[in-house]
Amino acid sequence: MSCRRLKDWFGERYDIEGLGSLARSKTVPSHRFDAWYFAGGLTLFLFVFQFITGMALALYYVPHAEHAHKSIIDIVTKLNMGWLFRSLHHWGAQLAILVLFVHVFSALLLKAYRKPRELVWLTGFVMLAVSIFFGLSGYFLLWDERAFAAVRVATGGAGNLPLVGWLIKGFLRGGLDVTGETLTRFYAFHVSILPLVTIAVTGLHILLVQLHGMSVPLSQEEKQGRPKPFFPNLFYKDLIVWLVCLGVVVTLAVLLPPEIGRKADPLAPAPENIKPEWYFLFLFQTLKLFPGEILGMNGETIAIVIISAAILFFFLIPFFDRRSATGRKSPLFTWIGVFYLVYFAVMTVIGFLT
Amino acid sequence: MKLDHSLVTRRIFLNTLFGGWIAAVASGVLWALLKFAFPTLGKEPDFVILRKTDFEGIPPNSVKPFAWGGKLGLYFKKENGTVQALKGVCTHMECNVTYKPDEKKFYCACHKGWFDENGRNIGGPPPKPLEVFDITVEGDKLIIAKKGVKVELPKA
Repeated sequence: MSCRRLKDWFGERYDIEGLGSLARSKTVPSHRFDAWYFAGGLTLFLFVFQFITGMALALYYVPHAEHAHKSIIDIVTKLNMGWLFRSLHHWGAQLAILVLFVHVFSALLLKAYRKPRELVWLTGFVMLAVSIFFGLSGYFLLWDERAFAAVRVATGGAGNLPLVGWLIKGFLRGGLDVTGETLTRFYAFHVSILPLVTIAVTGLHILLVQLHGMSVPLSQEEKQGRPKPFFPNLFYKDLIVWLVCLGVVVTLAVLLPPEIGRKADPLAPAPENIKPEWYFLFLFQTLKLFPGEILGMNGETIAIVIISAAILFFFLIPFFDRRSATGRKSPLFTWIGVFYLVYFAVMTVIGFLT
Repeated sequence: MKLDHSLVTRRIFLNTLFGGWIAAVASGVLWALLKFAFPTLGKEPDFVILRKTDFEGIPPNSVKPFAWGGKLGLYFKKENGTVQALKGVCTHMECNVTYKPDEKKFYCACHKGWFDENGRNIGGPPPKPLEVFDITVEGDKLIIAKKGVKVELPKA
């Protein structure tokens, strides 16, 4: 069947023309800060990349405490291209979270969350949380000493939340301690629950962006250029960015393959110089600021409560920033955004260096 | 449509009926699902029984690990020969501690916490001392028990 006839076949049943004109009518604003729009598309690309490499790895990974560690060693040493796929999945994850942070902070500072796009912000934040949980659960699947200690600390930290802490901790661990049951659970999260949530929430996020169109920063509303068509101008530019990113991921994956430590042993001491993944460093450093006891109360609990409150404020920021919602300049929230960004960056760097 | 003496319309009545039906089924499903997804937590053991010969002979100023349920227990012989059993889990964030014989201290690598020979927290973030267990010897058995727990062994 020729291409023409195939097109007609669909055209007689579905409104292909309508879809085409919808795509042609999609435009993207043009102004000083429009380069930040690329971060969203790039995040999407990296997520698709993670889905594909992850599906490949799932063909061979064995989610059981006895075999998990060995199966990864087998993947990287015995399988054709196994080393490449594990390395790609590792570096793809690092970049996905990095780009996601860039995307979130640019949306924060350009106040893209303001009315009417509150739900775009909320769904985006949910994806940030999901991604970090993706990172933690994926990391645990290595079942090495470092991952074991990291998950004990992370789930134990959640356990410090007042009232609901023990519930979250027990639910995440699948029991009292971090054991093989936790591995089963994290595997379920990593390959089934979180991917489905990702598809649903990201789908909603992208749909909402199509409904609202891209947000133009308040300062640029008067100074915009002519909007550019998405197809093909911006779409081709997106492809260029994706291709460069793919090059970066492959280069990192080939030159810097990730390590795997010794197999986890619940009775072994925590390894020396242990550090969490870089996107947990700011939490790690914050926890270090608090002494063990403050005025007779557990310092950890106080730290976790303060951190949770700060994260909750970040999540609900569209509803606190009343000025930008009505289209007025809102310098206070610019400073709050800068504070969050600087705090995150400085604590991450300090955590990295010490 | 509304009957003459009825308080609600037929539509409201049916919506409430079906809405209630859906809510009842959904909450039942959700309850069962949560009940299934949330694990039985179990509890830490009150005591564990070890073989005396495995632990008695360790050199002074060293530790030997044992399993305290799913957690790390440490059988510890001080320099002067007295023995102690501790839970080798840091009271800060639950990482396993390690014994540093040179400094005669317990150390947690996760957040740099220090405990002295008796398990007291002396440096870093740990808020509480390490948990110390009671040791009793019965024949060739070494019984490590939570402080204050009365161990009753089944008669063989």
